[in-house]
Amino acid sequence: MAATPPQHYTLVITGAPYSSQAPQTALFFARAAIAAGHTVDRVFLYGDGVHLASALSAPPSDEAHWSTEWAAFLNENNIPGVACIASALRRGLVNESEQARYELSASNTLSPFVIAGLGEWVEGTMTSRTLYFHSGG
Amino acid sequence: MSTLIVIDQPPYGSWAGREALDMAFSLAAFDQSVSLLFTGAGVNWLRTYQDTQEIQQKSVERNLAAASVFGVEAIYADEAASRLYRLMPDNTMAGVTVIKDRAALLRQHSHVAFAG
Repeated sequence: MAATPPQHYTLVITGAPYSSQAPQTALFFARAAIAAGHTVDRVFLYGDGVHLASALSAPPSDEAHWSTEWAAFLNENNIPGVACIASALRRGLVNESEQARYELSASNTLSPFVIAGLGEWVEGTMTSRTLYFHSGG
Repeated sequence: MSTLIVIDQPPYGSWAGREALDMAFSLAAFDQSVSLLFTGAGVNWLRTYQDTQEIQQKSVERNLAAASVFGVEAIYADEAASRLYRLMPDNTMAGVTVIKDRAALLRQHSHVAFAG
């Protein structure tokens, strides 16, 4: 494969794990991009994509665990993983501060994912090439 | 940089369009150039007199009315889709620009994002 100039990418995932292949496709793209010398600036989870950041998913042991695979990849490569706060709160993904704010019984955000606003995505569109991974219908 | 957010899903069947609208409003809030294109069944967002009381959801017609307040530059509707869904000037919300050439519109924007 011919070498391409190094690019900075923001990856937006809107498809949920196990409902769609979006998190897997995005992860495979991210691995290939890093291997080819590109940079992934951040991963932004939006809509149903926020389910990827749940610490409570427990797929059968003979299936891939996309949340922990993504978390390991983010840690290894020091890439921020951000779940949109509005999407997350609608779908039951909360961190400790939102748990306290809404007086909920638990929090479930898997480290290193964090919860933040759409401004993170806006910044990504301004500073890097933004790719979207949807559920694919 | 200018962004075009494309909504091709009908209102109310899922939250994807509503969350795409949030993306547009967020860009506008950060003073980024952003416009909306409704195409396919998505043109039904633009229908007037939407009554959502029975389904206990907020009217997207009312949400969209705030677009210009937030700073969304333009709202476009695909002409063929508008014709297919019988959206005429008398049942389409004000401030919508009907376009024939979607490809040309996409080329005018440096960044295009679809509702999921």
